[in-house]
Amino acid sequence: MSNVKSIGLIVNPIAGMGGSVGLKGTDGEIYKKAIELGAKPTTPGRIEETLALVKRKDLYFIAAPGKMGEDYIKKFNFKYEVVSKIDEETNADDTKRIIREMVEKGIDLLIFVGGDGTARDVYDVLGLTIPVVGIPSGVKMFSPVFALSTFAAAEIINNETEQFIEKEVLDIDEEAFRKGKLGAKLYGYLKVPKNLSLLQGKKEPSNVTKPEKISKEEIAQYILENIEKDTLYILGPGTTLKTIADKIRVKKTLLGIDAVFNEELVGKDLNEKGLLGLIKKYDEIKIIVTPIGGNGFIFGRASKQFTPDVLKLIGKENVIVVATEDKISRLDCLRVDTGDAKTDNNLKGHLKVITGYKTETIIEVK
Amino acid sequence: MTINLHMNENPYSPAKRIQKAAIKGLEKINRYSELKYLIELKELLGKYNNVPIDRIVLSHGSDLLLREIINIFSKDRKIVLVNPSFFSVGQYAVKQARRLTRIQISTPDFKLDPDLLLNELNKPTLLIIDNPNNPTGKILIDDGAAEKILQNKNVLLVIDEAYYEFSGKTFASMIEKYPNLAITRTMDKAFSLAGLRFGYLIIGDYYKAHFSNFPIYLSTPTLFAAIEALKNPEYMIANVDKILNEKIRIEKEILKTGIQVFPGETSFILIKTNIPDFGKKLNDEKINICNLSDEWIDGFYRISIGHHEDNNKLLSIIRKICNNA
Repeated sequence: MSNVKSIGLIVNPIAGMGGSVGLKGTDGEIYKKAIELGAKPTTPGRIEETLALVKRKDLYFIAAPGKMGEDYIKKFNFKYEVVSKIDEETNADDTKRIIREMVEKGIDLLIFVGGDGTARDVYDVLGLTIPVVGIPSGVKMFSPVFALSTFAAAEIINNETEQFIEKEVLDIDEEAFRKGKLGAKLYGYLKVPKNLSLLQGKKEPSNVTKPEKISKEEIAQYILENIEKDTLYILGPGTTLKTIADKIRVKKTLLGIDAVFNEELVGKDLNEKGLLGLIKKYDEIKIIVTPIGGNGFIFGRASKQFTPDVLKLIGKENVIVVATEDKISRLDCLRVDTGDAKTDNNLKGHLKVITGYKTETIIEVK
Repeated sequence: MTINLHMNENPYSPAKRIQKAAIKGLEKINRYSELKYLIELKELLGKYNNVPIDRIVLSHGSDLLLREIINIFSKDRKIVLVNPSFFSVGQYAVKQARRLTRIQISTPDFKLDPDLLLNELNKPTLLIIDNPNNPTGKILIDDGAAEKILQNKNVLLVIDEAYYEFSGKTFASMIEKYPNLAITRTMDKAFSLAGLRFGYLIIGDYYKAHFSNFPIYLSTPTLFAAIEALKNPEYMIANVDKILNEKIRIEKEILKTGIQVFPGETSFILIKTNIPDFGKKLNDEKINICNLSDEWIDGFYRISIGHHEDNNKLLSIIRKICNNA
């Protein structure tokens, strides 16, 4: 293959429309309400701002049709082709269908514009197979997967890299959110290029941390060597925990909570009830979790199954937190929000996070 | 012309007599530096810090000395660092350490809890602290905490005092009492010699044997410039005053824009803003500041102090960015 990079481009034309009219999202029927209230599209501006800053000449775009991609790319001097067709009204199924067609055509990277809902759709098709650049344009922007701005997105596209990191796709419960309640679950992970700001020269190369994959392997090896016999290990969601499970040679769900006892899987995709049932059966129990990148939540956001009742039974002293150096060095603190102030307070204070083989960071839980 | 405020450099050139000394050094670069000048430099540093000259180790840049310390003492010791800290050292420690503990200091005050630190020192430990800290500018340990740490024979305490001339805080007076104390210094910052890269160590007794064979080659321009700068430190002191006055002025003005400023004891300013691409916007106006999101948390920037007019330009562009945000 030549150096020409094949880039998929897909825009959720209605993402972000709810915000201006006071709605918290445009998923499902809410979109129609947003239109009635006079909402205007915000995504065209976002994608055009980004494309205007893309300097690379070796890119070949495979764009979604019309307002989902083609309308914006055609204003610039990029080589491109259009895949698929859409109707006047578009929805999540269109997004998924078109991305599948792009994958069949062969793309090296997908640029998508939208919000958390769009990121979910992208994850449903791509998982961790093809890297993505997410340009934020939604109302809810809880997923750390998005670039910080249109400029940052363009920087990532301009600076080709072979280094990738995994970022969380968080799914907000929109129904609850509109009622003023914040509920989120971890929906999946997308692979994004690891990009460092290239604004100014530094005395030292910037990549202070080890590659993410090596960091996870080291964490897993350290956990494996220190696993205690006759102890139930409850493994939270995430790829770091998956790496640990792989090391122990048990088949863990990526997004669920699983349990291991003496290197055997004894619980899979557990909910609160399942966890409480297991906890009663064992004397020695430990939880291993990893924080959400960007905001640092260890309990109360991505893994609602760890309820106050579950955490009370296990105790803070039995909580093991693991995180790659890259993730932890970008956090000001860890956070908890279980919905129960007493449980949250018990978890607060300083905590040791395992960041590699015999490396740890002491960080405050707030 | 681009205004560079991203590397914690001194905006003022060395005094003419120091430049002349460096040029005199250039005339001798076909030769290795002579021992008598190396001894003269050590004597001047001994006088400047009020310590005997056998406690001074010379090197091109204090980060080389910190790396050497990590090389020598991390083999059978845990390394304890603060995070964030001088990124070059953190990076090297990650590569070399057999066991590494980092203590994260967090907003809003970036305080290091001495009890938390003391709890980590029950096994042989190499503890490296930059005091004041880079990039937060905070003084992390006081005399009381340092004494408690140094009374623990398990611990080698290395304090990086790169910004001593700005903070006025040093532990050099403890060096006779505590064999396990070492201090790194640089003349890059206050003395305006960043381009020559000169740093030195002040060491307690325990380190002496380990550094007895440490090569002390310095380039002659560096050696001559450092000697001349130390012979008459008033020029440096006047520049430090100017920088600190400018710093106070800039901090006050930035605060008025609504950007968060974290006061510190160094020559630079730490700020936090949620304005997207703040660094890029300054960069577009030919002003470079240090975007800390590469190594640390998004939204934090470190700004060095420039000449008065450059600082005015910085402020006017920051005001413009904030008004448009």
